[in-house]
Amino acid sequence: MRRSTGLLFVAPALLLFGMFLLYPMLTAFSYSFFSWGGTARGGFVGLDNFVTLFTKPPFTTQVPRALLHNVLFFAGTMLIQNTVGLGIAFLLYRRNRTRRALQTLYAIPYLVSPIVIGYLWTLLLSPNFGPVNTLLGKIGLESLALPWLGDPDLAIWVVIAISVWQWIGFPVLLYGAALGGIPEELSEAARVDGAGHWDTFRRITFPLLVPAIGTVSVLTFIFAMEAFALPYAIGGSIGNPAGATDFMSLLFYRTAFDSGDPNAIGVSSALATLLFIVIFGGALAATSVLRRHEQKITA
Amino acid sequence: MNRNRKFLAVTGLAAVLAAACSPASSSDTTSSAAAGGDASSAAGGGDASSAAGGASGDLTIWSWRVEDQKAYEKIFATYTASHPGVKITVKTFKSTEYNTILATGLAGSDGPDIAQVRSYGQLQPTIESGSLVPLDGKVDLTGWDENVIKSAEGKKDGKLYSVPLAVQTLQMFYNKDLFSSAGIEAPPTTWAEFTDDISKLAAKGVTPIAVGAKDGWTLPIVHQVLATPRFGGTAFETAVLDGSKTFTDKDFVASLDVVNGLKDAFGKNVTGVAYTDAQSLFTNGGAAMFPGGSFELGFFSNQNPDLKMGVFQVPAPDGSPSDTPVTPGYADGAFGLSTKSKNSEAGLELLKWMATKDFGQQVVDEVKQLSAVPGVTYSDPLLQQMADNYKNSPTPYLLLTDFRYGTPSGTDLLGTGIQQLLLGDKDSAAVAKDLQDGLAAWFKPGS
Repeated sequence: MRRSTGLLFVAPALLLFGMFLLYPMLTAFSYSFFSWGGTARGGFVGLDNFVTLFTKPPFTTQVPRALLHNVLFFAGTMLIQNTVGLGIAFLLYRRNRTRRALQTLYAIPYLVSPIVIGYLWTLLLSPNFGPVNTLLGKIGLESLALPWLGDPDLAIWVVIAISVWQWIGFPVLLYGAALGGIPEELSEAARVDGAGHWDTFRRITFPLLVPAIGTVSVLTFIFAMEAFALPYAIGGSIGNPAGATDFMSLLFYRTAFDSGDPNAIGVSSALATLLFIVIFGGALAATSVLRRHEQKITA
Repeated sequence: MNRNRKFLAVTGLAAVLAAACSPASSSDTTSSAAAGGDASSAAGGGDASSAAGGASGDLTIWSWRVEDQKAYEKIFATYTASHPGVKITVKTFKSTEYNTILATGLAGSDGPDIAQVRSYGQLQPTIESGSLVPLDGKVDLTGWDENVIKSAEGKKDGKLYSVPLAVQTLQMFYNKDLFSSAGIEAPPTTWAEFTDDISKLAAKGVTPIAVGAKDGWTLPIVHQVLATPRFGGTAFETAVLDGSKTFTDKDFVASLDVVNGLKDAFGKNVTGVAYTDAQSLFTNGGAAMFPGGSFELGFFSNQNPDLKMGVFQVPAPDGSPSDTPVTPGYADGAFGLSTKSKNSEAGLELLKWMATKDFGQQVVDEVKQLSAVPGVTYSDPLLQQMADNYKNSPTPYLLLTDFRYGTPSGTDLLGTGIQQLLLGDKDSAAVAKDLQDGLAAWFKPGS
């Protein structure tokens, strides 16, 4: 097919992409270089809005804090979701009869809005009415009946745990599909050569799962960096308690919508651009590392 | 697999780009504000599309009070009855998305003639975009509460840009049955009586004061209900605005100590208790008192119609610069005239009417809120009492009325600060210093 014919076919999609993604993105990017009076654009200020983010309170303390929480959120989600998710997928993959039903069950929380999940968990974990602490008290574990979402040292981990609980179905499904794609002959051959279960998994199955693990990791990274709904439902827009569950997107929300600062659009656009650079850079780096690894195993 | 992965990564990225970068598309993130939102401006649900009228005399009004649409229509019907040339259409939008919708509407050509606008700091971006007509000399607000008028003015030019609609007051709600079962005859009139009542209630096994400290926005309200006289209320406001005092002032620090000193009365693990938990604790009789805004009243009586409620002003704590108990308050919502209105004459007439007792009384009767218009009367005795308290001993809800003009906002800073105080992570002096330092990012005294 000629190149121009090809272009003709992708033109409608490109047009939509340009109109609804590229254009708004670039305008938002450009917003960060101007000063704003409400919605009225003022003069070009160069990098001033970015300088504000790095030199002025509250950003000097809140940007690093929020970013740290995003990173913790990523690391925690990544570690638990990938290991537990892979474990479950591996166990399910060997069941023929109940696999589908169980996969569906694991994926159900994933179908509920994070706002609802967050709200349900705040009710479950409430120190006054929450069934979790009541139950712990009933079975003699009062010492474990903690103020789960009221203790700043604990709250971020509770958010991570809730998020993992909600999204665990996603890696289970993805790894399930990837495991299904590995030819049975390979592990059979390994077994014939005398490899045990663990060796087969470590030397055959796991390396072949790396692309899937990569996909989950990159998506988890993006998901963790732009987490909004769940932290918002749990800790509100200021990351209660005491900023312990503050995230970049909440900071963006506060700056853009809760603030009486006339230049809110300028600074929040700068913040959005910064966040984009972090996400894009991170995803790009992760992808290139994974691609190299993939080439190694396919070679 | 490789192809598949790339596809996933690309779609994922695209979603991020769209969400992270454009202020316009960011409104999708605000649609989810149900759980943790700031209830001091009551939120609503639902949505409506808009189409502005074209014929002369047609006025379109936009508002975020979805739940009050019927009431507004009824009120404006009485106006159009006496102004036959005018036709009024009320459009309401989901509260959490309203700011974005309004900003777009006012900037474009199909926006409202009259827009319901936010108050104090949150009004400033609308004013700065040049979207509202200055009303000085056109609308008469003489005799109105100063603190209320301030909510409608531009910070930079001091001009009046809107007509305030409602007022919210902050006070202590109490459960009359729990009080009498603990042997308390009447609400306390001295600080000693107040702390004594707390002990009596605690001995009865109820939580004396319900506080939802997990939701930081409630804490500056708790602070003002409990300790406004301790830092000096209005006199302190004047001093802190002209720069003769700062928040590190010993009286302000002491007012934070007052809150911290009552920590045991808030119950165990208070920073884990959500605002909605605290509300239920009060309405189901688990707690005897609730420091809150007049906006709670409707919810409380709906939740438990049998609840015998009263309100009182907390007496001045020991060592207060002034012994008078006060009622902090703030204006909540206002109406302004769009500079793009094609019928600005008719719009201005309507705004003038919104500043009259006729309109204010109808707002009270139909919307069941405290009106910003002076001299209206209330059929609900509690609303009347709150209105009277505010009229007789008003003071601003300081962190909202004066310190929401920049980032970080005073209410956010103090909310987080009091959480740290209650957790024992910081002492009052450190919290006061954080507040002062945070505000210094944008607040210049004397401006």
